[in-house]
This record gives sequence, structure tokens and C-alpha cells, in this order.
Amino acid sequence: MNEILIILFTPLLAGVLAWAFDFRGVREVIGLIGAAVPLAYLVKLYPAVIEKPVDYALTVGGFTLQFQLGTMSWYFAAVASLVGLAMAFGLVATSRSGYDWLFALMSFTGVLGVFLSQDFIGFFLLWELMTFASFMMVLKRNRHESLKYFVLSVIGAYAMLLAIGILYARTGALDFETIRQALIIDVSLGTIGKGETILLFTLFLTAFGVKAGAVPLHVWAPGAYSETDQSYTAFFSGALSKAGVYGILLIYMLMGYKLYAELGTFHGHLTFAYVIAWIGAITVVVASFLAVLQEDIRKLFAYSSVGQVGYILLAFGVGSPLGFAGGLFHVLSHAIFKGLFWLVTAAIILQTGRTRFRDMGGLAEKMPFTFAMGLIAVLSLAGIPPMAGFASKWLIYEAAIQAHMPLVAGAIFLGSGLAFAYVVRFLYGVWFGQRPSELEDVKEAPLPLLLAMTILAIPNLVFGVAPGVVTGYINRILMGDVVGGDYYRLVTQTGTYNALLVSTALVIGLAIAGLVYLYGAKARRVPVTDTYQSGNPVTEEFNLSIRRNFYRPLAEALEFWLRYSWDRFYERLAKLSEDFADALRQAFYNGNVQSYSWYLAIVLLILALWGVL
Amino acid sequence: MIDWKLILEVIGILLYATFMGFIFMGIERKAMARIQRRVGPPLYQPIIDTLKLLGKKESISHGFIYDFGPVFALGASIAALLFIPIANFQLFSSNADLIVVAYLLEVPMLGIMLGAMSSGNPFSAVGVQRGLLTMVAMQLPYGLALIALIQHWGTFKLSEIVALQGAQGWSVTVPALLIAMIVFDIVFQAMLGLEPFDIITAPAEISMGPMVEYGGKHAAILFTQHAVQIFAETAFFAVLFLGGASNLLELLIKQIAVLFIAIFVASIYPRFTIDQAAKFFWKWPTILGIIAVLLTV
Repeated sequence: MNEILIILFTPLLAGVLAWAFDFRGVREVIGLIGAAVPLAYLVKLYPAVIEKPVDYALTVGGFTLQFQLGTMSWYFAAVASLVGLAMAFGLVATSRSGYDWLFALMSFTGVLGVFLSQDFIGFFLLWELMTFASFMMVLKRNRHESLKYFVLSVIGAYAMLLAIGILYARTGALDFETIRQALIIDVSLGTIGKGETILLFTLFLTAFGVKAGAVPLHVWAPGAYSETDQSYTAFFSGALSKAGVYGILLIYMLMGYKLYAELGTFHGHLTFAYVIAWIGAITVVVASFLAVLQEDIRKLFAYSSVGQVGYILLAFGVGSPLGFAGGLFHVLSHAIFKGLFWLVTAAIILQTGRTRFRDMGGLAEKMPFTFAMGLIAVLSLAGIPPMAGFASKWLIYEAAIQAHMPLVAGAIFLGSGLAFAYVVRFLYGVWFGQRPSELEDVKEAPLPLLLAMTILAIPNLVFGVAPGVVTGYINRILMGDVVGGDYYRLVTQTGTYNALLVSTALVIGLAIAGLVYLYGAKARRVPVTDTYQSGNPVTEEFNLSIRRNFYRPLAEALEFWLRYSWDRFYERLAKLSEDFADALRQAFYNGNVQSYSWYLAIVLLILALWGVL
Repeated sequence: MIDWKLILEVIGILLYATFMGFIFMGIERKAMARIQRRVGPPLYQPIIDTLKLLGKKESISHGFIYDFGPVFALGASIAALLFIPIANFQLFSSNADLIVVAYLLEVPMLGIMLGAMSSGNPFSAVGVQRGLLTMVAMQLPYGLALIALIQHWGTFKLSEIVALQGAQGWSVTVPALLIAMIVFDIVFQAMLGLEPFDIITAPAEISMGPMVEYGGKHAAILFTQHAVQIFAETAFFAVLFLGGASNLLELLIKQIAVLFIAIFVASIYPRFTIDQAAKFFWKWPTILGIIAVLLTV
């Protein structure tokens, strides 16, 4: 039995079994095993993969599906499997139904299949499996949001299908390698014109942009990410969005040369890549601004997730090897810190049953471990050295500025400022300030969830201090010495970052400051209600924390821009078409027998004139 | 093998920077007083204040994070300082570049915010909100100024930027970078927390904002942090735009020049409200920044 087959289908099998044997204890064990197997096999195959790609062909009903585990697909699959394992541990605590396990693990198989497929048949089938499974996860909680997700996914799927159809018609092949070579040869033959190339590019970009949540196709993400089991969202946002990102890489691999030949360059940048970079930059800025203004913890992280995937698109759009290295690194760091965030959110919601900031506060004392994990995620997302989030962001900065894309790089600066703002909102709203009296008996999250968080928190620290481990592997993927240095030091042509030394300096600084602190007088512990209030007497019944509209001044400064919204635009479009259909229905299907007989007469007349009768 | 020379340098620079930082704080108060025709406190007043705070018999605490916040802030300020080339002392600066230092200079803010948030004081919360919004507002022009600089010199490394300025003249002598410096100087005002961007602490409005709950040794640590931070930020400015320095005296002159510009601006302008500040930052400094980066592409 081939390992690739095991990696691919164990999660699905485990999901079906967990659904069939839906007993407490049994489904969890089956599910955990199913989620752990892919990671175990990927680790086992690592030495083989770095030697040469592992191939596998599966023949089903006359079609041959080709799978390959190369260096790049191993990377993506490993990231997805790591998050998948954490998700499974989280689900043990948060889910009570076999339904969740079935579809969560089904989408696991889908994602792995997308990364491993070597032809468009398998790619498309598993892509749809992944979309369907995640749709079912959302459908269970919220019909409206799931439909929004469904409609946009269908648009994406049709776009992809059309593009695949055009490619098949032109090249006669469905496997990636043949298509790639055919398109390279086609540059000199010119059978695919400029218009058609642009069409193909747009179609693929739509298909993958939907999944990655690129603006303006991001509207499904906030709803879908929040209206599902939060442990699953860790996987949904951590791994499924990476399928879209992987698709963008696929565009480069299959069509890169053709697109370059047809579209040329724009001020020294590849035109098509420049488009991707700007889509990424706009996604970063728009989604981060919206994240800052959210009042619901799930919505905040959903928008933040969209924004962070924007960084990856931006990095790939830079188009230089360094850009790819930064983007690939961010794939990993986004998966681990955002997965961690969603698990922390899962723990908070599980223990308090609340999602809005205005109902929470002061939980740090009640859930210290979850708080510590949340803090690690915050530091990593905000890009505080030495965390994994900083190393990847640093590479993206270097890449964008080195490639002379100043305005795009400016968007990263703005985005990281905004990221700082929304994570602090999360810290303040959930963990600090006065605790509402209803939350007095909140307890620490259950053990499986804590384990899940630990699984994702450790890589945040390890790859933060030793980013060279990741860049070393990325060098293999990109087949060149893109990022130099050793385990602890990243060196590019123009810059350098020594993570170990930064950590050391921080430790020195903390030691000095800690000594000053310890040398000082004893501190007396007072409650958060005992504070300086400019002489105003404070009583316990007033909660003085800022619960709502924390960033009100920003909303005021952005008043003009906030009047426009893609979400409302689409909703209006949907409403319009619904009204139109309704008007049609009322005009024609009016229940009047006479008008129905008229329709019949008219149709008969037309047919007669046409010569059918 | 232990590099004793480096260790001695680090200790020496840390002591010097802390001391000079306190003196800068004193200069700030004295100069402001003279502009307002007051006598003002002596230059060493901040040192006396800090020692007094350290000598307090007891201080209050609102929990672990409340204690950890100031310690983390001071630690991060010290770390940031170690990566900036101070005059002829390179310290760790050959191992980190501009982006790393720019980020490290922002970390202390997170520490202060962490501590302030955990105190549960509503004034602190307002201060935190204002601090982060100021940061969001200034980030874009700040980034653009740095990008212009990097694009012109073609390197991220601070030590190389200094060396190139030594060979080809200071950054300010390049027209595009002069624009970048104006942008950076406006942002600098907000980084130091001076008028018109003293929105965060806003004395007489929200009682020093994030710092309101702190007293005793906590406040002493925050004072020290502010001293190190002022020294690091002025040195950063001098390194980026004024050609660095070959000895501590030259650096000091440049730092004080930078500081005085900030003080003069601060003593003229009243305070912005936060949305005014955001709108301001996203208008002129951003436009100037975009011009600067497009000139250096």
C-alpha cells in the first residue's frame, strides 16, 4: 500500500467511521488517529522527499489521478497536517457530534488532495470535496452565511472549470507537467492569444482568490469563519485558505512564462505579478481596518485572517525568489499563529458562551494558560521579534522593498500597525479590565484544547528563534540559496536578522529590568476596582472598562470610507436579482387561467412560425 | 570564547544612554520652561525623581501582567538600543537591519500597553486606545520615510547606511531624502509623545493615560524606559538622516539638535484630537512620503 494513499484518505476514512460509530470516546479516538496519521507519514517520508519526489497514480473509472509529494507539496501538506492535528484535539473538547468529525476530516482529505494532485481532475475533485465539507460545517450553524460562502465558492468553481476547459481545449492535457510545457512552447507558437491568456489568468485568479479571501471576494470569510465550530475554524482559516494561496503558486508554475511573454513588464515588474501584489496589498489594508472595528471576537479574527493571507498574496506578487520565500514562510507562520488564535477563541467561547467583547473581560486570572497561549499568538501576529510571525514578515518587507515596490511595502507597514491595534483590542476586551459578575465561575479550558494550543504554540517559539530551519527547507523548494545564514540567522543580499541575538538582547534587557524590579520595594496586591479615578468615588456596580466601540475615533476618522462596503453591495445585488425574479413571477405566474392560455397560444404561434409544427 | 570588549562596551553604552536619556528629559523640561518664561527644574531633576520613586517603601500591583508590562518595556528598549550603532560603538548593529530596529523600537509600546490594560483603570484604557490609534496613524508615513531611505542607499543595514553617508554626504543633502526626513520628523514628534501628538498621555485630560496607575518602582522603571527610549530614538534619527557619528560628542550634538527641534515644535502647537491626528497623518505626511518614495525608486 502506498504511503500517499494513506496520507490522503485516512482522514476521510476516520471521519466516516467517527460518524458511523457516533459514541462518546469512540469517535474522538478514531478522529484523533485519523488526523495524526498524515503528519506521521509526512514526517516518515521527509528523507525520501528531499531526495526525489514520491509519485503515485490512482486509476478510478478510466481516469488516472496522479499524485506527487514534492518538496513544495510536502511543505504545504505538513503545515495543513500540523494544524489538522491541533484541530482534532480541539474538536475533542468542543464538538459533541459525529457530523462535525465527518466533515472536518473530509475537508482535511480535500486540502491534502489539492496540495498533492498533479493533474486538474484530482485537483478539481478534491477542491470541491474540501469546499463541500467546509460548507456543510457552516450550514449546520448558519444558513445565510453558508449560502454566501456557497455562492462565492460556486462562482470560483465555475471560473476554475472554465479555465481548465480552455486549457484542455488548447493543450489537450490535464496534467500539470504537460500543460506547463505546452504553454512554454506556445509562447513561440502563439495559438493562445493575448486576450485568451488574460481570460485564463482572470478565471484562475477568481477561483483561487475566493478561497484565499482576496478583496473583493472576501465577503464570505467573516461569516463562514465565525459561524462554525471554532476548533474547526483553526483549520478552516489556517489550512483551507492556503489552498487558494497554493493556487496562486500554481498559476506561476503553469502559466508564469506565458503570462510574462504576453503581458510583459510594468516599470520593471512582471505585469501579472504586479496585479497579484496590489490585490494582496489592498486585502491587507481593507481587511485590517475592518478587523480593528469589529465588536465580535470571531469577526475580528476572521477579518484579521483575511488580512494575513493578503500578506502572502502580496509576497508572491513581488515575484522575486525572496518574495516567494517570504510568502512560503508566512504560510507556515500564519497557519500556526492564526490556528492558535482560533483555538484560544474556541476555549473562550466554550467556557463563557459569549462572543462579543462587551460581555467579556478580566478572564486572565480565570484562564491563565489560555491567556499565555493567546499572548504568544498576539506577539507572533503583531510581529514582535523573536517570534515566527516576525521572521516571515521581515522577509516580506525585505522582498517588497528590494523589488522597488514602495507603495506595496507601505501597505505592509500600515497593515502591521493595524494588526497591533486589533490584537490589543482582543487582549483588553477579553483578558483585562473588570470582570462581569456572571463570569466569576469560569474555569480553565479542558485538557485536549490546551494540548491543541500547545501543539501550535511551540512552533511559534521554535521557528521564531530558529527561522533558519524553515528558510533552509524553503531554499530546497525554490532550488537555490535564496535566504542565506544558518539556523538562527537570516541573511539576504541587503539585510540581516539574527533571531538568536535578538532573543539574547531581549533576555539581557529583561534581566536588567527584572533586577531593578526585584531590587525595589515589595508590591501590595490590590484589585482592579481599586484604581485612581480623579477623586470620583467608584462603586462595584459600574463596570468601568471600555466595552463597546473601543476604536470609535478611528471609525470617525474613516467615516467616509465606511459608507462603502462590498458586503452590502453584494447583498444589494442579491436582493435586486431576487426582486427581479419575484417581479417576473408575479407578472407571468399570476394564477389567471386566461393568461396561461394566452402564453400557450403565443408559444404555439412562435413554434409554428419557426416551422417546427 | 567570551568577547569581553563587547560586554564592556554594552555595559558602558547602557549606563551612558540611561544617564543621557535622563538629561534629555531634563533638557526637555528646562527648555519648555524657558520658552514659557519659567525658571524650570534643574537638568538632573528626572534622575532625582526616579531615585525617589525607587526609594518608596511600598508600591501597589494589579497582578502579574501589571508588573511584567514595565519590565518588558524596559527590556525591549534596552534590546533596541543594542542594535543601533552608537557613534564608534557597533554593539550588535551588524546583526540586525533597519526593519528589525524599527520593530524593536515599537515593542516597548506593547509592554506599556499590556501593563496599563491590566490595571483596570478607565483612563489607562483610553490611553491605550489613543496610543494604538496614534501608532496606526503614523505607521504609513513612517514606513514610507524608511522605504525612501532604504531605496536610496540600497541597503537595510544601519552600519552600511552610516558608512555610505560618510562617503557620499548625509542623507539630508539628497532632495528626496530631505522630504523623507521632514516626514520622519513629524512622525518623530509622535514617537516621543510630544505636542501636538501627546494624545497618549494627555496631561490634564486623561491623567497621563497608560501611566496613571503606576507609582513607586513601577513608575521608576517606566521613567528609565522613557530615558533609554529617547536616547535610542534620537540616535536612530541621527544615524538615518544626519550621517551617524564618529564619536559620542558628535552624536550628542546631533541628538540634542534633533531634540530641540522637537521641543520647539511641541511648545508652539496645541494638542490634536485623535481623529484629527489620524486625518493629518494620512494627508500631508503621507503625500510627502509617497513623493519621497517615488523619487527614490
